[in-house]
Amino acid sequence: MGITAETARYLASRLVTSIIIVFGAMLLLFTLSALVPGDPAVTLLGPQATPELAAHFIREMGLDQPLHIRLWRFFSNVLTGNLGQDVLSGRYVTGMVGAVLPSTIILTFMAIFLAVLFGVPLGCFAATHRGSFFDHVLAILSVTFIAIPSFVVAIFLLLVFAIWLDWLPVLGTSGTGSFADEAKRMILPTIALAIGWIGFIARLVRSSMLEILGENHIRTMRAYGLPERLIVYKYALKNACIPIIAILGLGIGRLLGGAVLVEIVFSRPGLGRLVYDAIAARNYPVLQGSVLVVVLLFVVTNLLVDLSYSAIDPRIRRRAEREGMPK
Amino acid sequence: MIVLRATWKILTQVARSFGGGLGLIIVLTVLCSAVFAPLIATHDPDRIDVLHRFAAPTLEHIMGTDHLGRDMFSRLVHGSTVAMTVALCAILFALTSGTILGIVAAFLSTRAERPILVLFDVISSFPSLVLALAIVGVFGASTSLVIVVVGITLLPHFGRVARAQVLTLKNAPFLEAERLLGASTMRIIFVHLLPNIAGPLVVLASMDIPLVITIEAGLSFLGLGVRPPLASWGTLIQDGYQFLSQSAVPVTVASVALGVATLGFTLFGEALRDAVDPRLARAH
Amino acid sequence: MRLIPGWHGRIEMTLSPLMQIENLSVDAATERGTAHLLHHVSLDIARGRILGVVGESGSGKSTLASCLLRLLPSNVTRVEGRLIFDGVDLMTLDADAMNAYRGRRIAMIFQDPMTALNPLFTIGTHLIDVLRRRDSGIDRELALATAEAMLTTVGVPDARLRLGAYPHQLSGGMRQRVMIAMALLVEPDLLLADEPTTALDATIEAQIVQLFDELRQRFSGSIVFISHHLGLVAELCDDLCVMYGGTVVETGPVADVVADPRHPYTKALLACEIDPDGDGKLLSIRGDVPDPVNEGGQCVFAPRCGHVIAGCVSNEPPLQAIGEVRRAACIRAHEILP
Repeated sequence: MGITAETARYLASRLVTSIIIVFGAMLLLFTLSALVPGDPAVTLLGPQATPELAAHFIREMGLDQPLHIRLWRFFSNVLTGNLGQDVLSGRYVTGMVGAVLPSTIILTFMAIFLAVLFGVPLGCFAATHRGSFFDHVLAILSVTFIAIPSFVVAIFLLLVFAIWLDWLPVLGTSGTGSFADEAKRMILPTIALAIGWIGFIARLVRSSMLEILGENHIRTMRAYGLPERLIVYKYALKNACIPIIAILGLGIGRLLGGAVLVEIVFSRPGLGRLVYDAIAARNYPVLQGSVLVVVLLFVVTNLLVDLSYSAIDPRIRRRAEREGMPK
Repeated sequence: MIVLRATWKILTQVARSFGGGLGLIIVLTVLCSAVFAPLIATHDPDRIDVLHRFAAPTLEHIMGTDHLGRDMFSRLVHGSTVAMTVALCAILFALTSGTILGIVAAFLSTRAERPILVLFDVISSFPSLVLALAIVGVFGASTSLVIVVVGITLLPHFGRVARAQVLTLKNAPFLEAERLLGASTMRIIFVHLLPNIAGPLVVLASMDIPLVITIEAGLSFLGLGVRPPLASWGTLIQDGYQFLSQSAVPVTVASVALGVATLGFTLFGEALRDAVDPRLARAH
Repeated sequence: MRLIPGWHGRIEMTLSPLMQIENLSVDAATERGTAHLLHHVSLDIARGRILGVVGESGSGKSTLASCLLRLLPSNVTRVEGRLIFDGVDLMTLDADAMNAYRGRRIAMIFQDPMTALNPLFTIGTHLIDVLRRRDSGIDRELALATAEAMLTTVGVPDARLRLGAYPHQLSGGMRQRVMIAMALLVEPDLLLADEPTTALDATIEAQIVQLFDELRQRFSGSIVFISHHLGLVAELCDDLCVMYGGTVVETGPVADVVADPRHPYTKALLACEIDPDGDGKLLSIRGDVPDPVNEGGQCVFAPRCGHVIAGCVSNEPPLQAIGEVRRAACIRAHEILP
């Protein structure tokens, strides 16, 4: 299917909203940094800093400029891909974020992959075996998985596998760069992040599957004697997947938040670690830059989700226009 | 009176299912321990007893002691006060401001409500924990800041639901009639709209409680939440985690407590949703 | 003009019916108690003929259609009776054996073409899967060509293009044509059409009825055409079955039944369709459709009937033969009517 005028209009309006959101986030982050209580030089350099050093620092950071000039500079810098400089080391934040971003992204997407890999079949099975023992067990397990915070799961996993069983090397990255070792160290963080989503997706698939299986077009397929497997896994599953994609898009923010904590529990380098260290060191440019990247990641993912959404369900564009902007 | 009876009726309905009953028990336990913490705690939660560090559970310390010899059970009980205070304050903040914004948006024209909706979008485009980190990073950790930040991140939830509810109700015949009889907008909002949209909002509030507990515990775990001498469950987990190599008991006890509490509130929230709005109930 | 009433053909009448429904009863659990959706329904579906099933909504005609495929809603609690299809009682078959009939020997067209197709799959995907059901080894190109030819047959223009279209891109009438094409691809012995025109505009309805009329030339199987519109059925069908409150009240060749109804309900239904005075006044039957939760024990039409006698409320009237091929469930069928 080619891109129709309708699609183009929808995509354009989604794009505009996304841009507004990113600008809003930038404005908010700028306001926050302008609101930093106390003298920034003293806060950052410590009370021992000489007046000359402080003055040099303030000039360097452009903090002596009027607010609107600083705002302008911040925006134009960000738009050219410059997220500012680390006040202490002078390194560019863009580079620092770029160095750790892959680790966080891989962790998040591995978790999504795992969640879908297990959640979808479990949900399908529960829906087609409604009321069975398995269905009840899955219902209890999924709500438990959903309810318990991922960093608590991370700590449990750490306790069980690293302390009691001493099975897996868990903390940090190996630093050797060996793929097998890296992969091994990924296992527990991924599970910690994914486990709640497995339960969530299983529940989601189950309920939307049950709803879909009662629809008229499924009755048509049954009336034509198509094999149950084809009906469930080809026809119904595609319908049931749509809410999953939407929810994953909305949930990516929470996943990233969870990733921050999981990274810290397992001492993995990543955006979470970067943000945390920046806060501890009161390194505002790094904090600002990495949070902005998280927001950008979030907005872009949501946009992509919307696109794939409308690619999977051709009706979605119409629905989106009828009901105003989607979430 | 009517409100009490309705509440009782809904609670009995919640208690009827296994999950709802379990959730209700956990929620009541947590609430009781939060309110009556000084009565329930067996020890002073801050009394340091270096001679009995990392004590295993005994009759004296039923959940053992932490790295400073403080009684874990008493610290957990007092931690529930912190968790509940933060959760309820944050939810109350989000509920009020969100509902007001949502109702205002519903009564404005499509063009005029746009900024409010964009605000909701912008706020929800921040992962709540990351936004909280950013703000706490700038202003430093404090309990009230945690409440405000979490409240703000949850605001769009309530705003959107309130707006949607009001939009569907706004043109309902009974409100049309009320308007013809000359009722003021304020009267319509307070006498007719609020009671009608309260159900879904309360359900949403109860379903958001575990989320707030999680964020607060997460921030406190990072040392960015409540400040000492207050100790939340997150703080306890952090303390235990620091000394994991010496004893796994404190971290296990604190994590289990947090896990059970969030599970209880989740179960309760879902049962409440099913009881209040059967249409939203999952096919069970 | 027919010289001999009830005489419609030579070959069909001498063969055994394609399907014999015997004493079919269906109960379902509702909030208000057990509903008797079908009550001792007996009906023959003759080979190569179109049987029209008429009745108000709630008369059980759609339940009857789903029952023939044994695709009943999950709240059904009891199904009894025999469904003898070509000598085999479908009720005795296990799930797999029953499934072998669906989409091979029996095909169905549904009431609402807007929801009968999966919105996320193209028309082509639907049709190919139905074709593969008959012949799993069929080559994709051949299947596409077959589907395209069938779409053309049922009057879908630009058939090749339509195969790549999603259901929402077609109008209601086009979608119903697609459903008909799907049914015909199966080459079934029995085609069930459950109110295929009800959800359509009047002009589209006429086109679809026209299509069914044309189908008679190329389709050799039997058709059960369900409708609440007696005029339409009278125009299209060979045989007529009038249902009321989950029971069959009258059956027989269309022309005979319409000309000389033997059940008060059929007569009332005819009066609703054809306005005798021509003054534009629409007649209606007084009273309400019977409550399916009610217990039997009397004639189901008795509360609304103008000819009630004591015998009508003391017993359920049996479906008794009137002449060679007609039957009516009225104890006064021989005396008062027409």
